[in-house]
This record gives sequence, C-alpha cells and structure tokens, in this order.
Amino acid sequence: MEQTIQPAIRIRDLSYRYRGQETLALDGVDLEVAEGEFVVVMGPSGAGKSTLCASLNGLIPHFFRGRMEGEVEVRGRSTRDGKVGEFAREVGLVFQDFEAQLFSTNVALEVAFGPENFQVEREEMVRRVESVLGRVRLEGFEGRQPATLSGGQKQRLAIASVLAIEPRILCLDEPTTDLDPLGKLGVFEIAEELRNRDDVTLIVVEHETEETLEADRIVILREGKIIADRPAREVLRDVDLLEESRIMPLQVTRFFRQMGLWEAQLPLTPAEGIVEFKRRGWRIDPERHRELVAADEAREGRYGEPLIEVEGLTHRYPNGVVALEGVDMTVRRGEFLAVLGQNGSGKTTLVKHFNGLLKPSGGTVRVEGEETTRQGIRRLGQTVGYVFQNPDHQIFSDTVFDEVAFGPKIRGMQESDINERVSEALAAVGLSGYEKEDPFGLTKGERQRVAVASVLAVRPEVLILDEPTTGLDYAEQRSMMDLVKRLNESGSTIIAVTHTMWVVAEYAHRAAVIKDGRMILSGTVREVFAKEEILRDASLRPPHIVSMGNSLGSTVLTVEELIRVTEPGPKGEVE
Amino acid sequence: MKEAFTMWRHTQMVVLVALSAAIYAAVLIPFKGFAIIPGFTEIRPANVFPFVFGLLFGPAGAWGAAIGNLIGDFFGTLGIGSIFGFVGNFFLGFIPYKMWGAFFRRGENMEPTVNTGKKLAVYIAISILASAVCADWIAWFNDLIGFVPFAALGSIITVNNAVAGIVLGPILLLVLYPRVKRWGLLWTEIMRPDEVSAARFQTLGNLLMWVGGIGALVVGLAIGLGIYDQGFAAAGFAPTAGGAGGAAIGLALLPFLALIVVASFLLGGREQVEAAEEEAGAPRVR
Amino acid sequence: MDPFLYLDRDTFVHRLDPRTKMLLLVGAFVLTFLFVNPLYQLVVFAVVIVFGAIARSLVNLKRIWFILVMVGLMTVILWSIFASGETPLFWFVEREAVLYGVAIALRIDITIIAGMIFLSTTRNEEIATGLVRIGIPYRFAFAISTALRLVPTIAATGSTIGQAQRSRGLDLESGNLIQRIRKNTPLLIPVFVSTIRSTNVFSMALESKGFGASPERTYFLQLSMGRRDALVLLMFAVLLAAALALRFAGYGGLEGFSR
Repeated sequence: MEQTIQPAIRIRDLSYRYRGQETLALDGVDLEVAEGEFVVVMGPSGAGKSTLCASLNGLIPHFFRGRMEGEVEVRGRSTRDGKVGEFAREVGLVFQDFEAQLFSTNVALEVAFGPENFQVEREEMVRRVESVLGRVRLEGFEGRQPATLSGGQKQRLAIASVLAIEPRILCLDEPTTDLDPLGKLGVFEIAEELRNRDDVTLIVVEHETEETLEADRIVILREGKIIADRPAREVLRDVDLLEESRIMPLQVTRFFRQMGLWEAQLPLTPAEGIVEFKRRGWRIDPERHRELVAADEAREGRYGEPLIEVEGLTHRYPNGVVALEGVDMTVRRGEFLAVLGQNGSGKTTLVKHFNGLLKPSGGTVRVEGEETTRQGIRRLGQTVGYVFQNPDHQIFSDTVFDEVAFGPKIRGMQESDINERVSEALAAVGLSGYEKEDPFGLTKGERQRVAVASVLAVRPEVLILDEPTTGLDYAEQRSMMDLVKRLNESGSTIIAVTHTMWVVAEYAHRAAVIKDGRMILSGTVREVFAKEEILRDASLRPPHIVSMGNSLGSTVLTVEELIRVTEPGPKGEVE
Repeated sequence: MKEAFTMWRHTQMVVLVALSAAIYAAVLIPFKGFAIIPGFTEIRPANVFPFVFGLLFGPAGAWGAAIGNLIGDFFGTLGIGSIFGFVGNFFLGFIPYKMWGAFFRRGENMEPTVNTGKKLAVYIAISILASAVCADWIAWFNDLIGFVPFAALGSIITVNNAVAGIVLGPILLLVLYPRVKRWGLLWTEIMRPDEVSAARFQTLGNLLMWVGGIGALVVGLAIGLGIYDQGFAAAGFAPTAGGAGGAAIGLALLPFLALIVVASFLLGGREQVEAAEEEAGAPRVR
Repeated sequence: MDPFLYLDRDTFVHRLDPRTKMLLLVGAFVLTFLFVNPLYQLVVFAVVIVFGAIARSLVNLKRIWFILVMVGLMTVILWSIFASGETPLFWFVEREAVLYGVAIALRIDITIIAGMIFLSTTRNEEIATGLVRIGIPYRFAFAISTALRLVPTIAATGSTIGQAQRSRGLDLESGNLIQRIRKNTPLLIPVFVSTIRSTNVFSMALESKGFGASPERTYFLQLSMGRRDALVLLMFAVLLAAALALRFAGYGGLEGFSR
C-alpha cells in the first residue's frame, strides 16, 4: 500500500558542498516530481540549479568529490546505490553548454552514442536514430557534422542524443541560453510534444520568464534553498517574489500590477493583457504617446558627426559564402545602436568590419572619415574598441590590474598614465578595488566587466559589444546594461550585437535588423519594433510589452512607457 | 608507469587526454611553416604544452602530448617517423610529473607550480631532461632508419623543446595551476593513490633517468660528430668502427634507452596523490 | 577553412575498409624501406603516386608540396655532409652520399604522401573504428577521435582569441625569437583556459550518456572486409613479395656508400 503512486523524482533534505567550497551549493532541498509533470526551476546565478540537475542521475555524489547529505530517489531507487551509467537510462540530462556535449563527427553517430554504450543491437539503434531525429525535426541531417549546425539545431541534436537512450525523465539545464528567439521556440515546441505525446517527465532550468508559461509548477531556488514551489501561473503573478529572486517578471503582469490590480487578477501574456486592458475600458492617450515619439526625435537630432560610414558593404568568406551584401549605414557620435538578427545572419560579420578585423570584399567602411583598410587594426583599436562575446577569449593575466593595463601598456604608455587609465576604466565598470583580484576567480558577469574595462582603458570613441548579456542572470544583465548606458551618456558611442529583445527595447536608441546578410530594417528602436511582421520574418520577436502596445495601436518600449501613456477608464477603480 | 594505464578508468582523464592532444595539435599546426629542419621540426612555442600538461594532468598529459603530436603530423607530415614522434612526445609529458615528486620530501609542499625558487629550479632541470629524452627517442629512431643523422636532430629537438618550456612554461604554470586546481582537474585529485606507482625506488629511478637521458644525447652526438675523425669510434665506442655509423648509434644508444625505460618503472608518483589527498582532507566518495 | 585532408569522394580506394588501408600504409612503408638506390625509390614513388591518382587524392599535394620539397632538399644536404662514399664530387662531398640523400629524400616523401593518401580517403570515425577493430582499446581510440574532431574547433577559438588580442593592440610580428615566443602567452592562456574549462561538463555529458556504463559496447558504424579488400591486399602482397625477392637477390642497394 505504501507506494501506490511512485513519484518520478523524490528529493529529501538534500545538501551538497563542493570540495574546497565554503558554502553549500544545495541546502536542505525537498522536492517531488510526479510522473509526466513539467517543472521549471528558476533562480539567479549560483543558486544551485545546475547542482540540482547533476544530482538527478547520480553525477552527484559519484562524479564530484564533495559532501552530500540527504537522499535522491529516481523512481524509488536511491542514487547512492548505483553508477551514473545506470541512472542515465532513467534520467536524460542535457547540459547548458551544448558545444561541450557533442562528441561525434556526424549527426547519426552522435545520436547512436548513448545506445552504443548501453549495448543496444544495431537494428534497434538504426530505428531509434531515425525516430529520434524525426522528433527533434532533424530528419535528413544524418550525415552532417554537428559543428556545421546552427545553435538551435545543435541544441535539438543534444536533446536527441539523450532521447535515444529513451529515458522516462528529461532534465534540460538552460536549454535556450544563446539561442535566437526562433531557436528557443523550436526547443520548447519539442519539449511540449515530448510531454504530451510520450508522457516524459520534464524538469527544465530556465531564466527567461516568457518561456515558462506552459509549465505545471515553478520551483525557485536561491542560495541553495527552495524558496517557492507552486503552480506556474501563481508564481508568475507574484511579481515581488520574482524580483526579490532576481528573476525578470513578465512585463504584462508587471504592468497590470503597477496599475494597481490584485495578484489573482493579473494577466500573464500579451493576449490576456489586451483582453483585460479593453475590458477595463482603458485607452492609450495619443498625446502622451506623441511625446514619447518626440523625445526620440529630439535625441536623434542631438547626435554628433558620423563616426562610422558604411557604403555598399559586401563580404564574401574565402569559401565563397556571401555573409553580407550591399549594406549601407551610418553611425553618428553618441548613438546607442543595437544590431539584431538571427544566429548566422551576418551581424557579427558586419561589426567586425568596424574595427578592421575583417576587410570588405566590396564597398567601403570609413571610420572618422578614413577607410578602415588604410588604418590597420592597431590604430583602429584606439577609435573602435571591441568587447568579444566570451570574456574567457581574452583574459590571460594574473590580476585584474594587469588585464586592464594590457592595452595601454602594449601601446607604450607611461606608467603613471597606465595607472590612471586602469583606475578610470575600473571605476567605469564598477570594479574599483578589484585591481589585485584574480580575473579567473570572478563570476561570469564580473569577467564580462573586466573585458569591458580592458577595452575602455584605451579610451575608444566607439564601443562594440558582442552579446554582452549572454550567460548572465537578470540582475547581472541589468547591471551590465546600466553600465553600458552610463558609458553612452558620458559620451561613448555604443554598438551592441544582441538577441535579448528586452535589452534592446529598454536600452538602445536605434536598431538595425540583418537578415541573410542584408539590412532589412533600421531606424529608432520604436520604429523598428513597430514592424512586428518584418521582425518575425527575420525570426525575431519583440518583448511582450511591445507586442501588447503594438496590438493596442501604439508602440511602447517599456512597462514604464505603457504606464505613462495609459489612461485608466472608469472601470479601472471599481474592482 | 602503472598510472599511465589505470588512468583510462576515469572519464575526466580520458577527456583530458583528448583536450590536451587537441590543444597541442591546434597550436602546433599554425607554426608548421616556421621550420628549423623542414618536415622534421619547427619553431614550436606549442612545445610548452607537454610540460604543462604533464605536470597538471599527469599521465593524461603524457598521452595527450603523444596523441597531439601524432595529430599534428596528420596535417601534412604523417610518416614512419610519426611512430617515435609519438614515443618521444609521450616522454615529454611523462617525465615532468614522474620526476617532480623525487625532488621533494614527504610533507614538503609539492604542488606542481613554480612559485618558489626551488620549484623553478626543479622545473627547469626537469624540462631540460624531458627535452633530452624526447630528443633521444626521435633522433635515435630517425638515425636508425636512415632518415636524419642523430647529431642534426638530437641537439635541435633538445634545444627547441627546452627553450619553449623554459621561456613560456613558468608563465603558463603560474597562471594555470591555481585555476586547474580550482576546477578539480589536477591528476592528483582525480586519481586514487592505489592506482599510481609507489615511490619505492624513487631516488634510483631519478638517477637512472638522468644517466639514460643525458647519456644517450651526449654519446649520440659524440658518435655522430666523431664520424669525421673516427676518434670516438677508435676509442671503442662504436661497435664497428667507420663503416656503419647508423648501426653504431643505433646500438650504442640502446643501453641508455633501456635505462630510460627502467627508470620509468622505478619512479613513483603516489606520494603526490597522497599529498593532494591529505591537503583536501576527506577522501572521495567513490 | 577545413584543416583536414579528407576528400569526400566516391572512389575505389574510399570504399576500402579502413583496416585494409592501414595495412596498405604499413606495406608502403615496408616497400620504401627495402631500397637505398634512388632509381628503385623512384619506382616505389611512382607506385604510390598512381595509387593516389586512383584515389583522386593528389589534389592535396598542393597543400603539402612545400613541406615535401623542403624535406627533400634538407635531407639531400644533410646526408651529403654527414655521410661519405668513394667517388669525390666536389669539396668534401662524395657522389654516393648525395645519391643516398636523394634516396632517403624520396623515402621520406613517399611515407608522407602515403600518409596523405590514407588521410584523404579515410574519415576520422573510420580511423577510430578501425583502430578499435584492430584491437586498440575503445577509450584510447575515443580520445584520438575526439582530439581529431576538436582540432578545428580549437583552431577557430584560437583565431577568435587572436582577433580579440589583436584588437587590443597585440602585435605578434615584431621582436626577436624569445620575445615572439613570449608574446604568444596572451593567446596560449585563453586557448588553454577556455578549452580545459569544459572538461567537467564534457565528462559529465559522457557519463550521462552511459560512457563506461558497461565494459562492452555495440557499434553503429559497421565495418566489413569484402572481396574488394581481399583482392587489393592480395595484389599488394604479390608486389611486396616481388620487391623482397629483388632486394634479397642484391638489387636496389647503393655501392660504395658509408656513414
């Protein structure tokens, strides 16, 4: 009688401390997940989300040396009682870093890898490869090299390679980080289908709130403890809880919350929001909306002289692939430009022309009036600073000071000048006092800042940031972008390549949309986000609040803007 | 030597072999153009990696160096010479971690980095020895099969390896050691003491390795250069004076190479794993 | 750019079992080691080139011709200096030593070209599977094939890192040898760190897919030695036997040469 319904996962009082660490990664976690349930785990960086995932198939305690207390049971069996390999049959684990989990030279072999280890017969393997690739929509890709797939395809392949083991429980650790909006959608569609059709139990770690709407439950972790474990829609309505937990609340929900609605009434999606907005008889004040547009226009008028002028830029890679074709654009002093487009659209190729890393195959790029081909990377580096996506691709020094001083030093500056530049740059990124720290010991967000500081130390006019918010949690993203905004306000011209749409809406002034190497849209962010159709064509989706505004006939960029232009009707106060 | 085989049980060690090999090969390839003896050896800043890999990843670093060099050959120079390129580079990664423990007393801090004068001195000495042993194998084999005379290859490989190791190694080790340790990827943290050779004949092994490694190089160079004046051959070193220099070097070096192999089995390594274990306190779960 | 030599073509040689090709490679090494006479080496050279032509792989010579020429030249020069013979040619160099150098140059180039043909016609995963089938332990073969696969990835990372450091002002082109070697630290450290950092995730992903779950495993990729393989091996065995017979009959040596 005691086990009428066996939960898929039962975690009792689980604590874990990594070797050499002072704090607990997990601290007294209790969690049950029923068969067929869809649970989303959220929380800021370092909350213990990945540790929780690793405890599900026995990687903790078997793989890491550390101290585990408490019990994890997978379908009634304690993970202490078997090898990782045995639990891997039950629990499929897909890691955040999908590059690091693809081992094979072609797609079919990648999918067959798990079954090979479990000594599945070859005929059965062939069947599984076919069926699993169908489920993740990678039919016909069997012979492709995983390295040649797009980010979204790679992530789907990583999922397929785990599905081929036919686990009953699937755990995805931040499956959509680094994917463009279309790639994200693809992953979630597959997750939905797995759950509906195959009754797979799903545990997904996610930091983008907009992606969690379909979950049954949301579990919030903070500092190794579970601080909330409730039905998804209930948690999503608890705006205060989310903000305290450094998770971005849904914009539509936040809007209605700030307009004074009670928690239980709060709509979650743009569609629900529009219904509620209209039901209450609210309307948008056209006069106040015109003020917003006028402010945009005034800002447009304040920019300085053109710094970067691009004319008819075409770029062809040595293998003949045309990455850019006929791009014209001008960036003026003081702008904050966002360059948008799906993975592989050519946006990074475009900005790499601005500091001379790439040379045009056709057309010209002029920086401060002179063609980049005549200036050389070293000289251009003084004018145009480039912060690469992954800070680990440039950090090599022992201390933060040395890292930031590298640029000025290599340009032969005096020691006193160098010291001044370093303190100035570190102050700008909010890392004063970190001079002697070891850059490799900092968090990802802090390393990102060190990378920005090391570019700032050369005092460039223009700062290019490639995906500055990838891999950061909400609070870190905010503080990173607040920093960029301050730099812009104190005179730097900013060009940011990104696919985090709310960042564009809240921070950028202008946007350019690249699709298949051509610029299909450019203008103020408001103008660009108004054209939702064209954006969708480029696999982009504006943030919820923008969509809602668009449906109401006026493009707003932030929750605050929508509040400013909303005229609550008489019914607003009644309830 | 035991740990070079038992290490394959650990998934992390297998991955470290693959990653070390890939890094080594990837950095070797762009320098293929900067040849010293074209096709045989180039200016190789990448050659710092076997020392660093060896000290940090132990046997995984040694296999990584061997495989990495082989893959480097895949990009243009795969040939019969690749066989002893494999062996030589294995020793380039093997000797550093194997010899390291022999220079420290039990209880003394033996973390493989160069933060003290003594450690730096040990590092430099070991780098030179490892370079020589690597050169011994490669040059001996290439001479034996009649590709390149020992004297030409032996000295160049020794100097080339040692320069990269001594110029870049300390910088890299100082920066990398604390990180690799933080990530829990030091070989002494991944492997268990009983999987590693005990250090019973540590001192003898240390001595024999020096005699074998440096001896082979000196004798090989002497015979190779001595062919002009026959003096060395007349002194009775070369079994058949004059006629077959190739066979002379091939045979005269054999005892020294045998010493290297014997020393490899005598040297320990367990003491380093035990020291790491003590420092960490609790033994691992597995 | 794809740094691998493999050429995706459908030729007779491509279709051979990788184990057959490994045997042929070893056979080519043996063949070229039999002779020290440059004329005989030329014949072996021709055999290898014809085989390469059948495999439609000679296009890769474009990528390694410089190495081949340099290896050849250096070998001739080295042996002219280090070896001796009977017939003086000029200064202290003798004719036999030069001839020997030429033979060795051909021999080295032959082994490199044979290696090139092997790599041009055999996929990485075929090499790995072939290694397992000839008795190499799976984990060792896995490490080799993973390393092979990762090289282009790391090369790409390396080039990104190079771009990042150059745009910060790093200039690798100037300075003396030691300075230039030292200037590589801003490249080598990030290459190392960003690659090694993934070790744990990589290992966890492997174990999560059952790596090492049981001592045995099955294989998706099938290898089978067919009639074609037998035929090629037979032909090659005959060739080798003929060459051996020739050598033992005293042909293909070099008179008057000594080291």
